[in-house]
Amino acid sequence: MGSQDQNQSLQTPPGRPVPPAAAGFAYTEAHSPGGEVRPHWEYLLGSLGEFNPDERGERQRMVERILRDDGVTYNDYTTGGSGRDWRLDPVPLLLDSREWQNIESGVRERAELLNLVLQDLYGPRSLVRLGIIPPELVFGHPGFLRVCDGISLPGDQPLIQYAVDMLRGPDGRAKVISDRTQVPSGAGYALQNRIVMSRVFPSLFRDSHVHRLSLYFNSLRARLNALGPNGGLPRVVMLTPGIYNETYYEHLFLANHLGYSLVQGNDLTVRDGYVWLKTLNGLRRIDVILRRVDDNYCDPVELKPDSQLGVAGLLEVVRAGRVVVANPLGSGVLENTALLKYLPAAARHLLGREPALEAVPTRWCGDREDLAAVLANLEQMVIKPVWRAIDSRTVHAGSLSKAERETLRAAIQARPGDYCAQEYIAPSLAPVWGQNEAARPAILRTFAVAGESSYIVMPGGLTRVAPADGGFEISNRAGSPSKDTWVLASEPELPEVLVATDSERGAGAELPSRVVENLFWMGRYMERAEYALRLLRIVFGKLTGASPPGAESRQLLLRAVTQLTCTYPGFMDEAVSGGDPLQELRSVVLDGDRPGTVAHSVTSLLNTVDQVKDFMSGDTQRILNDLSDHMQVLPERLGSEFGLVREEELDALVTSLLALAGLVQESMIRGQGWHFLQAGRRIERALQTLSLMRSLWVQNTSGEDQDLLLETVLLCMDSLITHRRRYQRYLDVANGLEHLLLDTENPRSVMFQFDDLKLHLDRIPGFDEGSRLSLPQRLLLEAGTNLQLADLPELAAIDRKYLRSALDQLLSRSHRLVGAIATAISDSCFDHTGGPRPLGTGWSGEEPR
Amino acid sequence: MKYRVTHTTRYLYRDTVNQCHSVAHLLPRDTPYQQCSRAEVLLNPLPVLAADRRDYFGNRSYHFSVQEPHEVLEITAVSEVDVSEGRSSLALDFGPTCAEVLAQLEDASVESNLLVREFQLDSPLVACGPELAEYAADSFASDRPFLSGVRDLTHRIFTDFAYDPHYTDVATPLTEVIQHRRGVCQDFAHFAIGCLRTLGFPARYVSGYLETLPPPGETKLQGADASHAWFSVYSPAEGWCDFDPTNNLLAADQHITTAWGRDYADVTPLKGTIQGGGDSHGLEVEVDVTRLEGMPA
Repeated sequence: MGSQDQNQSLQTPPGRPVPPAAAGFAYTEAHSPGGEVRPHWEYLLGSLGEFNPDERGERQRMVERILRDDGVTYNDYTTGGSGRDWRLDPVPLLLDSREWQNIESGVRERAELLNLVLQDLYGPRSLVRLGIIPPELVFGHPGFLRVCDGISLPGDQPLIQYAVDMLRGPDGRAKVISDRTQVPSGAGYALQNRIVMSRVFPSLFRDSHVHRLSLYFNSLRARLNALGPNGGLPRVVMLTPGIYNETYYEHLFLANHLGYSLVQGNDLTVRDGYVWLKTLNGLRRIDVILRRVDDNYCDPVELKPDSQLGVAGLLEVVRAGRVVVANPLGSGVLENTALLKYLPAAARHLLGREPALEAVPTRWCGDREDLAAVLANLEQMVIKPVWRAIDSRTVHAGSLSKAERETLRAAIQARPGDYCAQEYIAPSLAPVWGQNEAARPAILRTFAVAGESSYIVMPGGLTRVAPADGGFEISNRAGSPSKDTWVLASEPELPEVLVATDSERGAGAELPSRVVENLFWMGRYMERAEYALRLLRIVFGKLTGASPPGAESRQLLLRAVTQLTCTYPGFMDEAVSGGDPLQELRSVVLDGDRPGTVAHSVTSLLNTVDQVKDFMSGDTQRILNDLSDHMQVLPERLGSEFGLVREEELDALVTSLLALAGLVQESMIRGQGWHFLQAGRRIERALQTLSLMRSLWVQNTSGEDQDLLLETVLLCMDSLITHRRRYQRYLDVANGLEHLLLDTENPRSVMFQFDDLKLHLDRIPGFDEGSRLSLPQRLLLEAGTNLQLADLPELAAIDRKYLRSALDQLLSRSHRLVGAIATAISDSCFDHTGGPRPLGTGWSGEEPR
Repeated sequence: MKYRVTHTTRYLYRDTVNQCHSVAHLLPRDTPYQQCSRAEVLLNPLPVLAADRRDYFGNRSYHFSVQEPHEVLEITAVSEVDVSEGRSSLALDFGPTCAEVLAQLEDASVESNLLVREFQLDSPLVACGPELAEYAADSFASDRPFLSGVRDLTHRIFTDFAYDPHYTDVATPLTEVIQHRRGVCQDFAHFAIGCLRTLGFPARYVSGYLETLPPPGETKLQGADASHAWFSVYSPAEGWCDFDPTNNLLAADQHITTAWGRDYADVTPLKGTIQGGGDSHGLEVEVDVTRLEGMPA
């Protein structure tokens, strides 16, 4: 997944070192220099002061639990892409309404200014021609996309979303640190923080008269709806780079909140000059794309040619005015930190006035005077690249060793135009949750969205504070905790609820083919993991039990493990099945890199659920958390000495999988997606059952061994008790087959899978048309008929080679047919076009000579 | 001189291609010394959509989408171009010196100086470096007339570098060309551009065609021509001036300009994506540059 190259905006807000000396001068948010509590903090600090240590701990745990149950994560690809729980400090940052008004109007003005700069840079470029912005900052910036030049964008505010990072300096005034104009992230996290805070501190929140955030999100939706270029209510989708993106959680959350389908590049295609969503029911035209994919990755035809995250041909559709992309492609050029220095002059030119909101004084090393000043005072400077690349970091030169500083100096001297410098300004200190509400440096990101005539600013935002260890950087990547930001109103606000109208919801609710495919595989992985666990549990139990099986049965059991999980060669190798099986058994449970193992199936399951989370019940996350928690502790818990293996450690995983199945059954809408999920489960369960019977019942065994193997299959299929009750006598293969192969009442029997699979296939679009059956339906009919025509005594009969050959043939034929059904579903329903590929890979004849 | 240029590109795929989105820089632009009177792109199979646009640099960029399933895609660009003598009579030995050109370029109150900065900076395929500066220095003594220096650089590249179409391809980085001193027109153009930019002079990449004449007494073979590339330099007093290091020439009326940009990446003749097509494909290219001298206009 190419998202590792992605450069998402939330990841590098500037790092801010905290020299102890400077911190002494920092503005304190909650207290006056004399140490008195500022009036707008009195109620909050007073209320928090009444919590005793136990209550504090409880609230803190509640915050963490809600975040975890909601699956709120921030992925850090530098540590292997694992999701990290979102951190929320329970003390909000408070801003009173008067100081907020200043910030709000300043942010609005800055959004307007950047909007005009954007239009100028991709239009007349008067700012360059008149020497207001140095040409290098535009022409030399990778965010300046020449292919976007001259595209006419709808409306007066093509810059639809804007985010700004600010700090409050020692003088008490808000100052801009950086602008986010490409794919500004964080608004969803801000809302998530708010939801948690209002649940954990309901009365405190209510009585504090906090401005609501819904205004921002309603405005965003209204704006996107108003931008539809093709008439009627536009179909809006949110484009994500995928599950490995740092802020994927936010994409899910926002898409759900706004009522849009969350799609990936390959879900969309350009045909006939429009953008379409590939759904099960065919192509659906898309009018507006709210994107979280960086500029350069959006179209492999005209931008980065090897991008797999974009839509081939998108730019040409944008040019023709048939789709609107928000934010417009090319808006990354405004994220050049060096622009901070030149924006006041741009404001004088474009707005006729100085901007009200000041920025942290910024120097650009491409300017000779600035370069000299920066090199002369390097130790006082915070150095930033003008282009945020994946490895670009903000550094405080003063915190470097002498050698490191000289390396930095040489790098700046070699390519001065690539660097900016800001003098260190100590951010204000905001109280954090702790015994005395100790204060830590904080920065605020707030958000604006284009409205009818100007910008609407979110009353609040995402506050982040320095990590507890006093680290230099305040960023999500550095693990900085976030805070809710409360803008206090003088009057209580009327509650306002965001409700999607039916038509909007309807327009956005198509299932992309990718989602359907993932649901199908989710069903398959659920069953695959469960069956493997069930069998392993039994095998551990029997092998370490009081009366271990004979050599022949033992080998059959171990081989069944290999056959069921398809982890060949495994126990098919005499040497492995003959010796201590623990190592191989552990591997079949724990080795995540080996397809077919429990770990592999569970990981694959978690990944597929990540892809379709917006279709799952809100309770799903808790079960997923359980699954991954169990999986994580399993290597240790399982034990590493054969006789001491605790097979019951596998129970917790089985239980979680059953809980997931229950949730799917009880809470999921019976839409197309559900039918695919169930079809996946039925297919996998049929395959596993057939495979297990083939492993353990085809070869004739006698006496205790036969009982053991019969019992194993029945146990594994959760049918032993009913079987005993029904047949009330000695176990035998004929009865076992009747119960597990043909019984239409037993939810584990193969016939049951076939009957149920038929119901789901009949509901899949395209399968139910006309009198002619689709290929999957015909294959299923054949498979079902084979079973019904089978003669039980003949199946149970043993031939001269001590084999049940008829059974073997039936099972293997059925297995093949079910496999063919899965392939046929995949062929006819899922998208097999693959990603677009560069036109000229490997060519050389086209080279000019 | 008037020419007809026919440039055919044929992609031969192993499997069916279901969809192709592409952008072509194949049709000649107008320049102060060149008028393009006819320009069309013929596609087989027919495109579902096509648009003849002007790109950021003023070049013609032809955007098209093919949706008809195909195993072969044929793109033929046909154009008729009138090229004037241009600047071949320019007095290279009497213009402003290198130092003067650099000083003039410094004047930020002149709009054109600000705009040509674009061609003084690194670009996707050409990054400045010490090897370039070292090589270039010999040609650009500060009191030497600038264009005389460029002609010298052109001549030196022609002499020092071996023309070797098998050595490089479009993906060969400039550093490798420098190290081994061999390549094709594109590499020589990039190298010259890098030399000039390293010293602070604006330089751009020009793609086009060169009329080739058969040996005396022989007839010209069809499809035997090729696309070509050279570079152009800028001095505030003299404007843009084209040099061809592959042939040690000042570009004149045998050079037909298609497009210009910072480097090859800005003016790739054909780029885009396909869906399907199998794991490899064949490619055939035929170029004909025919003189239309004496034919009715």
